[in-house]
Amino acid sequence: MAAIAYPDRNFKYWLISPAIFLLLLIGLFPLIFSLVVSFMRVTMLETDTSFAGLLNFIQLFHDARLWQSLAHTALVIVIALPIELLLGLAMAYLFLDRMPGRQILISLLVLPTIISPIVAGATWRLLFDNRYGPINQIIGWFAGYPVAALWTVNPRLVYPAIIFCEIWQWTPFMFLILLAALSNVDRSLTEAAEIDGARFWRSFRYIVLPAIWPVMSIAILIRGLDLFRIFDIIWALTAGGPGTMTETISVYAYVQGFRQFESSYTAAIAFLVIALLTVIVTFAIRRMGLAK
Amino acid sequence: MVNRRDFGKISLAAGLTAAIGRPAWAASAADAAVKAAQQYKGRSITIVWEAGLQSLDPTHFSGPKWKELTGMDVKVVEVATAEMFTKIMQDYKSGAGAYDALNVIPAWMPDLAQAGALEVLDPYVEKYGYAPELQTIAPTFRDNWMKVGGKIYGFPDDGDVFIMYYRRDLFEDTAVQKAFKDKTGKNLAVPKTWADFDVVGAGLTDILKDKGIYGASFFRQPPYAMYMFEERFRNEGGKFFAADTMKATINSDVGIKVFTGMRNENRFMPPGVEQFGFVENLAAFLQGQSAMTISWPPYGRWAEGYGTDQEALNWVPKTTIAGKVGYALPPGGHPELAAGFSLSISSTSKNKDAAYLFIQWLNSEDVSRQRVQLPYTLRDPFRDSHYADPGYLALWPNAKDYLAALKQASQTGLLDLSLLQTDKYEEVLRQAISKLWAGDDPKTILDAAAAEWDTITQKIGVDKQKAVYASWAANSGAYPKV
Amino acid sequence: MKTVPFHRRKETKLALRYLTAVSLVVIFAFPIYWLFAMSFKTPGEIFAFPPVWYPRSIQFNNYAVLFKDGDAKTVGNSLVLASVSTFFAMILGTIAAYSLVRFKTGGENLAVWIISQRMIPPVAIVFPVFLLYVWLGWVDTYIGLIILYTAFSLPYVIWMMRGYIEDIPLELEESALIDGCSRWEVLWKVVFPMARAGLFATAVFTFVFSWNDFLFALVLTRTEVATYTVQVTHYFGGQSNFWSKIAAMSVLGTIPVFVTVATLQRYLVRGISMGAVKG
Repeated sequence: MAAIAYPDRNFKYWLISPAIFLLLLIGLFPLIFSLVVSFMRVTMLETDTSFAGLLNFIQLFHDARLWQSLAHTALVIVIALPIELLLGLAMAYLFLDRMPGRQILISLLVLPTIISPIVAGATWRLLFDNRYGPINQIIGWFAGYPVAALWTVNPRLVYPAIIFCEIWQWTPFMFLILLAALSNVDRSLTEAAEIDGARFWRSFRYIVLPAIWPVMSIAILIRGLDLFRIFDIIWALTAGGPGTMTETISVYAYVQGFRQFESSYTAAIAFLVIALLTVIVTFAIRRMGLAK
Repeated sequence: MVNRRDFGKISLAAGLTAAIGRPAWAASAADAAVKAAQQYKGRSITIVWEAGLQSLDPTHFSGPKWKELTGMDVKVVEVATAEMFTKIMQDYKSGAGAYDALNVIPAWMPDLAQAGALEVLDPYVEKYGYAPELQTIAPTFRDNWMKVGGKIYGFPDDGDVFIMYYRRDLFEDTAVQKAFKDKTGKNLAVPKTWADFDVVGAGLTDILKDKGIYGASFFRQPPYAMYMFEERFRNEGGKFFAADTMKATINSDVGIKVFTGMRNENRFMPPGVEQFGFVENLAAFLQGQSAMTISWPPYGRWAEGYGTDQEALNWVPKTTIAGKVGYALPPGGHPELAAGFSLSISSTSKNKDAAYLFIQWLNSEDVSRQRVQLPYTLRDPFRDSHYADPGYLALWPNAKDYLAALKQASQTGLLDLSLLQTDKYEEVLRQAISKLWAGDDPKTILDAAAAEWDTITQKIGVDKQKAVYASWAANSGAYPKV
Repeated sequence: MKTVPFHRRKETKLALRYLTAVSLVVIFAFPIYWLFAMSFKTPGEIFAFPPVWYPRSIQFNNYAVLFKDGDAKTVGNSLVLASVSTFFAMILGTIAAYSLVRFKTGGENLAVWIISQRMIPPVAIVFPVFLLYVWLGWVDTYIGLIILYTAFSLPYVIWMMRGYIEDIPLELEESALIDGCSRWEVLWKVVFPMARAGLFATAVFTFVFSWNDFLFALVLTRTEVATYTVQVTHYFGGQSNFWSKIAAMSVLGTIPVFVTVATLQRYLVRGISMGAVKG
């Protein structure tokens, strides 16, 4: 887009400075502070503010639990994100055309996204409860005999439980965004393609997908970043257990920073995370051409 | 069974009983505190308290009463249990000084004291003459929950201890006794050792399963099961560390035996017991689903329906077993004094003296007696006088057995492990337990846990931790007296 | 005319779509229903086996208790914090986005930096912010959290509003200038109204993200400004679980947001597509 030349050169700075100021205050200052702390030895027991060099960062590389937590996080993202995307897309198609009560149904569908994630996790915990929750009861109806599935304890069930809860809460978010995108696609194009005999998939791939890609890519990026930071649901369902099996990077950082007050080490972890994310996001943004 | 009344009436009744019970000439610590606090009329102090049920005490009873007597405003800062340590430490480390008085779990005291977050209370005890009434706190709490390194940092205020609750009606049922004798060749009796427990539990489940009753149920969620492990491990003779080398010894044969036992017992407990928390276990027991369980004192009160008609306790499932419950020490005879609370003062408080007077008053003979009898209280008896209090004894027919069990427990009880950075060690235990329920092999789990403990100890400094451990182990309640 | 087979008929397709749609809604709304039902159940019903699917009677006692004990005030706090911060974030963010779009202020680098602020995990910055706030005296105050939420929402607002502003034809602004409007007037009279749909769409999600925040509220509040998310965690005790309060509080905390979303929902669908398509 062409920039406009205005006589008063300062107008544009006035516009942006309050936002920049707040971002610096809340965004930059804590980061610098954390960086400084990560070079010290601040723990629960001592507040040694002398320069400790790269001590904490070296420890990062030797910390198996940290890398495991990153692997767990990656696992969650790789499984949940595609499902949310595809399910959201399918649902968007479903609600694309008119149907009775469409507005109400859509409003109801949004509900999972707006309740607090902590409450969502806690509710699902009760739903999954073997004795007092309806899920095992329902499974038992289908199976024909009482089923005792321990969703928050059985190592084979914990990830399904977490991912199920996560998908339940956030697919509606994707759904809404994609619904809007789809409803903007020029209908005459797809109809013309249909008349010409194009199958659904060809039409989707060459007409619809390019049209909704800008929206979809932003949605994927936002969702991906949020999944990276997933905390509340896991904390409520398993607290990272069994053992550290479902511990993601946020859970690990929380335990280190808030339970055990390893302030310096947590700061180092935070920087590792930010560095990683910066690389990934910058790459993604430029590749998807979002900053132009 | 207590009839439906509101908070005020019960508190008033309890208060009157206490007032009548006290000899008029005694200059009690409560009076002394009130008198000295007159100079702080109009001041406002904050106290950190566990959110939820626990907080009803200061918000509905003790806070308003203190204000009435002294004109001091008490602001209760409710904090979720899981966040209490964090908030206290953060407040201290940031120098915010927003908290005056604190509720502190005794296992945290070494860390908080070492960090400098707690005020030393000896000068205040001296100044206001509180020593005599400190003496009359039940020995185990008094000798183990008050001091760190010889200095007083907190007043024990909640007699948390594990008690075994069992269904007397089932144990005394002749048909059940006969079936048990036939099946196992032994007489049905409340188990005194864990070996007995396994036999009794499995036997009862076999006999009563058709009626939907299991031999026992426990809260198996890691935060709770951790305490049960600490208790059982020591009852069976285990030691946490080798005192000279500070190497962890939780993976000894005893540890493996305990873990294996715990896992095997789940088989005769209700399905899904691995997920049981405090409330799920409570529901199971109150609904008559299990014949034995181990838990904190509130179970006993609520099983008899004391206080459960209160609005604050309307989340407690209705009891179907009132009058049928018996009380005993857990197998091994040395119950865990799990968690508990002491009252402390923050070292960065700006109202130390005033806050101190409040906690002295709360903790005193007179006031604590009333507080532990509040129907909605979670504060359990912790003074010798509580166990013999006529008001308490009258609360339900079997209250005398209940109080006797509590008293016995307080005399034989075991301290929670408490070192520097206790939470790190506890976290390892919690994770070990969750791995146990996930099906891993006990030896593998415990070996890994012991290795992690050693790593933590090394990071903190072996000599440093050794000294703290030695001082903890010297407590009467650290290990069962052989 | 050839008879269309049954499975191809428009009505059948509609019926199938409708059935699937309703089933989906049932599945997604089920946990919410469960929560809602729990807020009316007695503890006997909550801990009943087999699980009870609907409460025997609808009694508002659980809700009444929340109001009586003052817990419901936290919903009010959340409402104040989220709405005020959303308001400021929308204004400051939109004018910042305008600056980025129309003047390319700071070039691509500034834009990328702003967007990248959204990836900072709260756990990384909450303790330094706490220390800063202790120094400023902003802990447990409305202003402290409002400023924090505003700042934290800015990247998202700027990001989304960039797209919507790009949609506004330049000619409209130019003709307004020619008509004698000052640059600020152009903003208020042309840009904001034209981007109205985008404003609503972005505002809703910004509101929701602030409304549901837990970590910042946990660390930065004590008693005065506690939000509903923190309050709910008070009901999970070591020796208690106030399920009815948890459920009732959650419902109370969800109603304002649900009502807002339901009323503004039509803007939502239209708004997102218009703005985001341009990236």
